[in-house]
Order: sequence, then structure tokens, then C-alpha cells
Amino acid sequence: MTIVLNSRGFKLPRLEKEKFVNLLHLGLDYDRNAGLFSIKSYNNIEKVIETVGVILGDEVVFQQTCIKCGKSFGCKECSYIEVCTTKFLPFSCVCPKCLRGQSFEESLAKF
Amino acid sequence: MQKQSNLLWVEKYRPKKIEDVTGNDEAKALFLEWLKNKKHTRKAVLLYGPPGVGKTTLVMATAREFNFSVIEMNASDTRSEKAINAVAKPATSYTSLDNFSGAAKTGGNVLFLDEVDGIAGNEDRGGVNAILKIVEESLVPVIMAANDPDIEKLRPLKKVCLLVRFHQVRIPLIIALLQKICVLEHVKAEFEALERIAQNSRGDVRSAINDLQSLSEENHSLTLQDTMMLSSRNKDISMDDTLRGFFSAQSIADTSRLLSYSSVDYDDFLLSVADNLPKRYLDATELAKAFDHVSKADVFRGRIGTENWHLLKYFFNALAEASAVNPASYKPFTFITPPIRIMTLFWTKGKRTMLDAICDKIGAQCHVSHQIAREQYVPYIRLILQKKPKSPLAAWFKFTPEEVDFLVKMGRF
Repeated sequence: MTIVLNSRGFKLPRLEKEKFVNLLHLGLDYDRNAGLFSIKSYNNIEKVIETVGVILGDEVVFQQTCIKCGKSFGCKECSYIEVCTTKFLPFSCVCPKCLRGQSFEESLAKF
Repeated sequence: MQKQSNLLWVEKYRPKKIEDVTGNDEAKALFLEWLKNKKHTRKAVLLYGPPGVGKTTLVMATAREFNFSVIEMNASDTRSEKAINAVAKPATSYTSLDNFSGAAKTGGNVLFLDEVDGIAGNEDRGGVNAILKIVEESLVPVIMAANDPDIEKLRPLKKVCLLVRFHQVRIPLIIALLQKICVLEHVKAEFEALERIAQNSRGDVRSAINDLQSLSEENHSLTLQDTMMLSSRNKDISMDDTLRGFFSAQSIADTSRLLSYSSVDYDDFLLSVADNLPKRYLDATELAKAFDHVSKADVFRGRIGTENWHLLKYFFNALAEASAVNPASYKPFTFITPPIRIMTLFWTKGKRTMLDAICDKIGAQCHVSHQIAREQYVPYIRLILQKKPKSPLAAWFKFTPEEVDFLVKMGRF
């Protein structure tokens, strides 16, 4: 099973100090009040995903947010998943509906 | 001023605002946070990532929005310690002179060192150390950009910089941008064609826009068929295929296009063309003409060296002319490849090594250089040994029996 995370904030089980420090080093931030982790630096994002996946014991993917309609969607819906070098990573994208479903004029208006 | 219609689309549609820079929103946010925060934990920032993803564009758009004056040094400038100090030191120490003129006040200076991973060689000696010193002393933001931050030379710089990584721009984002440009340029484009351009660009927005312009500017339309040529852009066209395309080309334009898409080694290709020309042109006059063009191409190749790549189109043109001396006379033939010269060097390597060893021994005994031993001693020693293989001369030079045998049997070298 795949675990879908939201880059704005996600929870992890209680961690040993060493693992917690390692995650912060890799670029995560921790909000003590909300108990949520979020991504601060994307420089080591692949390593972050790998480490979080090991902690959760499963494959981890991030939800995508469409820059045009603002809706969340998964990379599995995208037809370019095979050639995408940043699949499952929490970067800006355009959802398949917005990309194909609009006329040029409509797409221009959204810019 | 250059007319808008004559501009490259890359320049025409270069984002003026930060929000218009396509993709890498997270990197943009991190960079802006650093720039806005006056108490930097790191004194400089290093933007890194593949080409065409918006590093330079982001810096320029930010400068425009924050009203900064950008003092830029890129790979085309010599970036030795002296040059960097001459340009960058004043820029990082003083307020912009614009503030004292009648013009609107600027937000101050920003030092931007583009392509810092290209600082290398003798011309740029001391460059990295000079940058480090400037970063330490600078009163203004220092921004650097690089494609490959992992090179050894940049290690000290990375320690003092906030690192901001840029990723390849995603295909849907590039398609959306191309759609926008198509609307503004009144280009009627098939979605699949834009899709192909975006996929072919491998996340490089600049190359995607350039491809769109080159394919659609003339007819204001773009079909999937038009983009077929692009599919070969990132594939390695082998030497055989390039030669086949070269010799069977029907026009100079065909060959130029083929050469610009091929990734063969230009020196090897030039040698292969010269080897195969006599098989291609059986008529002596045509062959002479073709060789004339190849010799011109060779001159341009020499002038290009390792840095004057702007001359590449002249190299391509000269070669293309050689391929199109008489397109109608083309008949398929078997190509000679790899180049004869390279094969000869390969075949004679053993012999050359043996001769080198002999010359070393002569040089050591007679106190002469390697070259003099080869040119002035070897012919006579050879004659002596041919007449009397057991001459005491061989023992004096400490030649091995194999070396004596080699000298006796060697032809003209």
C-alpha cells in the first residue's frame, strides 16, 4: 500500500532522537504545537521521501496541487508519469483536467 | 532598440515578475525568504540545477521587482581574482550611483555570479578564493548560479552559501507555457505537438520555447508532423547514420540540420568525411570541390577550438556544402569508418612504442634528444645492423634481440 502525504503538514510516529535530527538535517521542519512535519528545504527531497518511507514502513508519495484550479490530484492520473523526473514529489503542477480541458483563451486567462 | 517582432521568443516572453517564472515554486520561496531576511544566516545563495529551469530568470525578475541593480559576471567574462575584485568589490561595498542621480532610487546592488561552476583554467585562477572573500566582506546580497554544484572547486563556496536546488520543470507546466505563447503569437498548434516539444525538452523551458519558435514562427501553425525532427534531438545519432545522412543529403539545409542534431565527435567526423569523399564523388572536379569545402570546414574547426562555439554554424555550412556538390550523383556505398588515420595510429601503436624505446636508449648513450636520435641516428644504425646484425653496436646501445630485429626489418617510418 502507498501512503499519500500532504507537503504542508503530515504526522509521523514518535521517533528516536537520532532519526528526528536526521529528518531536520534533510530539510524537514517540525511544528511542536500541531505535532506536524512539513518540508522546509527541497534540496534533498528524494532522500526525505526515502527516509520517511523507511520510518512508515511503506512507499510514500506526495499529493500534487494544481496551480490552475487548486485541486489536489495524484501523479498516477498524469499521462507523463513515466518520463517525469520528479514524480510523487511535492512540486507545482497542472492537473490533467486543466491541461487538456481548456481552450487556449481560457488557459491564458488563468495565467 | 530591437523590434519586438524580431526578438527571440525566449527573450520576448522572459518573465518580468517572480510569479511568472515557470515551476520550482518551492525554490523561489526559499530564495525570496533569504533575500527578504536582512539578517542572513548564510551570506550568499547558490542556485543550482539543470540548464533552462529559470535560475537566471528568477534573479532578473526578482531584481526588477525589488528594484535592485544587478552587477553580473557570467562565464563569458574572465573571472580571475583580479577581474572579480575590479568588478565585484566596488559593487559590494558602495550604494548604487543611481541613487545620487535624478533617476528613481534603486533598492541597492546585487552581485550575481552566473555559471560559477565554469570558473576554471588559468584565466580564472584565484577566482573562487576572491569570491569567498567578497562573500565574507559584502554588504549586498551575493547570488550565484551553477548547473553542477558537486565539482570539487565549489566545495568552499558551498560552505558559505544557502543552497537552493532547482529541478527540471514538469511537462504539464511547459505545455501550459507553450499554449500561452501560442495564443499570444497567433499560432494554431496541435496539443500533441506541444506535448512532444515539452517531452523532448527534458524540463528545459528555454529549449522548449526555442523549438516552438523554430517550428511554428513561419507558418503560424504547428502539427505533430512538424515535430518529428525533434524526436532525434536527444538521441545519439551514430557515426554510420550521420555519414549516411550526410552523403545522401539533397540540400545544404538538410545536412546542416542533420549535423546540428547529431552528437558525433566533430574531429572524427571530419576525418571520416575526408576518407569517404573519394567513394562519394567519382568525378575528379566534383571531388576537388568537395575537398575544398572540407578543408574550409577544417579551418573553422581549428578556430572553434574549445570555446568559440559561435563559429560552429560556419563549420556546419562548409561541411554541408561538401555534401551537396552534386546531390543527383549519389549512389549508396559502404562507408570507411572509423577514420583511417585513427586506425593507423591504433595499428602502429606497438611499432611506435618499440621505436620510442630504441630512441630512448640511443639518446641516453649519445646524449641527444629523442627527436635527433630518431631522425639522425636510427637510419644509420639500421643500415649498420642490416649489414651486420651481430655488430657490437647493438650491445653498446643495450638493444634487446627484438629491438635489433625490429630495426633490421623496419621499413620507412
